[in-house]
Amino acid sequence: MRAGILVNSLPAALTIYDEFKRVPDCEVLVLLFPAPNDSQSLARHVARLFLRRGGLKSLRLVLGRKVIRFRKPLTHAKTLTRLQGLELDIGLHKSGEIYRQSTIDAFRLGILNPHIGMLPRFRGRSVMEWSVLEGEPVGITVFFIDSNIDTGERIVLSEEIDISDCRSLREARERLFNLDAVFFRRAIELLGSEGFEYKLNDGSGHRYYVMSRLFRGAVEKIIMNFEL
Amino acid sequence: MPKDFIVTALKDRFAELLNTRIAGLLPERYGPASDFVADAKRQLLVASSTELSESFPKMTAPVRWMEGDFDSLAYLRRLSLGEPLDLRFGAVPSLPALLLDDLSNHDASARFQLLSERYACPLNFTLPAEDGVREWVLTRLMVQDRALIEKKNSLRAIHAEDLLLKLNLVALQACAGSDLRFLDALNYYYELLPSAWHPPGQYDWLLVSYFCLYARALAAWISR
Repeated sequence: MRAGILVNSLPAALTIYDEFKRVPDCEVLVLLFPAPNDSQSLARHVARLFLRRGGLKSLRLVLGRKVIRFRKPLTHAKTLTRLQGLELDIGLHKSGEIYRQSTIDAFRLGILNPHIGMLPRFRGRSVMEWSVLEGEPVGITVFFIDSNIDTGERIVLSEEIDISDCRSLREARERLFNLDAVFFRRAIELLGSEGFEYKLNDGSGHRYYVMSRLFRGAVEKIIMNFEL
Repeated sequence: MPKDFIVTALKDRFAELLNTRIAGLLPERYGPASDFVADAKRQLLVASSTELSESFPKMTAPVRWMEGDFDSLAYLRRLSLGEPLDLRFGAVPSLPALLLDDLSNHDASARFQLLSERYACPLNFTLPAEDGVREWVLTRLMVQDRALIEKKNSLRAIHAEDLLLKLNLVALQACAGSDLRFLDALNYYYELLPSAWHPPGQYDWLLVSYFCLYARALAAWISR
């Protein structure tokens, strides 16, 4: 299996890259794209490399030729051609991009997304907050994306996560986001396992939107009082 | 447990809406609609000191397509003030799927026209068969319109009447339905729209009807 981590900065890829060292027969590359509206100067990337957490690890990846830097945005024809030439099986979404179908199709199986909500019920934005507000389980769903919002039909892995010991919304969000590397690895392992079958994201849920300050405040209080 | 926290938050917002936005309304700024704005202000401020269920009786959603003798805007004013509508059963106009194409392909003033014509009786927006249009309107408000306002940090790029008509319709759904997403779109825009904003255009009073219907939606959720 050959996978590519799609990122806008190197440190964002480190945890995932490290997690995949545990997976046999899996080669992982870091695909570094300019962030939307970001400067593409090399100096800026170098500065990030050394100033941010994990600078040395990032440098090691670069020197080990595990990082492929794209100068043009994901949608650019040159980027697509180069991406197709890499012949990767799977993309691991860790960037701020929304992907077009042509980008998704550059990977043999597609691009995986660790969505911090239970699909198909919760699509879209602020889904962890919406799950808490509606008294529903919080969790992570790893699925192959399509060009719409959380409507990709192939769910690889879906699991509830206990956040009852979290004391703030931020802590709960961090817990879920920090599990992305582990869930990516588990999804890849599942995909390679005998008799694996996808669950269907059947579109039966709703699309949720960014939550108001009023309801975020209510969610914060619900989380703070989980064990009362 | 979440319900208690939601109701507490909604009560706080209800009080804030009445004590700041409604209390701060200047009817004379609304020209020909100044009487409507004065009535709305008076009614809501009186309501703030009485029992919610008495001041804001539950809005009854229709079960079939309705029609009446007035247009969308006239009915929105009546609904804002809690007045009876005197409706009768009517024939459903063209298919929602076709409307969605029309809505997506037209500019904001044409969309305003399309929505106000289809929902000449605005309560029809809450009918189960209108689900596709409701989702389209909600997405439009919470994705495209919101992004336009937040990116430019300005309301100038927005067609105010189109935005406000959508908010009025969403408020009706928040009053009649049980989906928190519609109520939260109203919460979000309450926080997004500057308190001093006076919308341009001849239907500036749609801001006031949005406030009234938002208050009614909050009251409906608090009383459940």
